[in-house]
Amino acid sequence: MKVEALTYGDRKVYSVGAFNRGVADWIARLPTIWIEGEVTELRRHAGWANVFFTLKDPADGACLPVSIPRGQFDALRLDLLDGERAHVYGRPELFAAKGDFKLRALTIERFGEGDHLAALERLKRKLAQEGLFAAARKRPLPFLPRKIGLVTGNDAAAKRDVITAVTTRFPAAQLVVAEAYVQGPRAAAAMVAALKDICVEQVDVVILARGGGSFDDLLPFSDERLVRAVAACPVPVVSAVGHEQDTPLCDLAADVRASTPTAAGRLVVPDLGELFVRLDAARAALERGARRALEREQARVDALHVRLRAAPLLLVERKRAALENATARLRVLSPSSTLARGYAIVRADDGIVRSSAELSPGAHVDVQLAEGGFGARVEETR
Amino acid sequence: MSTPGFEEAQKELEQIVERLEHGRAPLDEALALWERGEQLYRVCRERLDSAQGRIEELAKRVEDSRPAR
Repeated sequence: MKVEALTYGDRKVYSVGAFNRGVADWIARLPTIWIEGEVTELRRHAGWANVFFTLKDPADGACLPVSIPRGQFDALRLDLLDGERAHVYGRPELFAAKGDFKLRALTIERFGEGDHLAALERLKRKLAQEGLFAAARKRPLPFLPRKIGLVTGNDAAAKRDVITAVTTRFPAAQLVVAEAYVQGPRAAAAMVAALKDICVEQVDVVILARGGGSFDDLLPFSDERLVRAVAACPVPVVSAVGHEQDTPLCDLAADVRASTPTAAGRLVVPDLGELFVRLDAARAALERGARRALEREQARVDALHVRLRAAPLLLVERKRAALENATARLRVLSPSSTLARGYAIVRADDGIVRSSAELSPGAHVDVQLAEGGFGARVEETR
Repeated sequence: MSTPGFEEAQKELEQIVERLEHGRAPLDEALALWERGEQLYRVCRERLDSAQGRIEELAKRVEDSRPAR
């Protein structure tokens, strides 16, 4: 549409109608799109051709007036309540006569929690199929992180809870905090950026924490961008969002899910007191072990010593016994026992006489008996 | 004779005791073995006593350095 301007000297001036028509014409070229918001101030009157309402952004309160032909609205049978969330399909329009900007709606769909849940469910299935939530991807938490990253809202109770839990258990723990919006339309992108920033600080583990909130409040924690950033984080992530019953998708992508920020704090550091107790126990066991080894060796050496002391005497005893034995045998073989049986030994000058041929009558002999002896002369030989 | 270590000394002492208990060694050799055995026993005792001393000392040092909690 051609918009005519009046000319006053070198100044071009448009009439209000012409200007509005020009802008309206320009706006009319914008595409038809879906817009999400809360339906408020719904006005429907039997005499009006259109139904009017205001679509409000729950995050920042931005408003958009919407109109829809009454017949079309009634045909949808939506029974919309004030504050209900809806998706409105329409195109922007400027009502030239009044300079009124509106969204001219073609259709409206209620987008309640159920629809939201369904959308989340679809996203969850998609990400699960990609393997983002797979158990095999979960990394163990470091035993004692050198630095702990904390992504949370500014001055949030969640932040305090994490810090308290961490420092109570391990006072020397180092924490780096990155604050970010944790609700509203900017939260997801802000947390993705905070997560990235904190990893540059060379942390060994990251806690993503937020206290409880409404379903809407926790939605950024199911945002695809954040879920992917959590999964891609170079160090293990502990997700502690909302209360026990809330399971935003970032919980599934995280390496460990904590039921509360306090629980997350307790998970990332060991209890120093407990560590001391265990260390003391290990030390005591070490000492016991050393003492036992020593006592065992002492007992062995002492036993050897007892045997060593006894051995030489035993040996002498044994040799003495052998000697006694030999002597006894010697005695058996000695002539004295033979003499005791009544035999006698006869000796001449040449020694023991074994044959009468060695003697002649008159020769002197010496006779030895078992007891005593006597000298004799040979009277005759036979 | 260089002083043998604990394990060596104990092993030799064991062999000597067994040899003596067997009773086949000549008397002179048995006496020499006994003397050697007593010597080895002293070596073992000294090693064990010094080990015990180190254990006690270490235990005391640990006890002393325990932080008051």
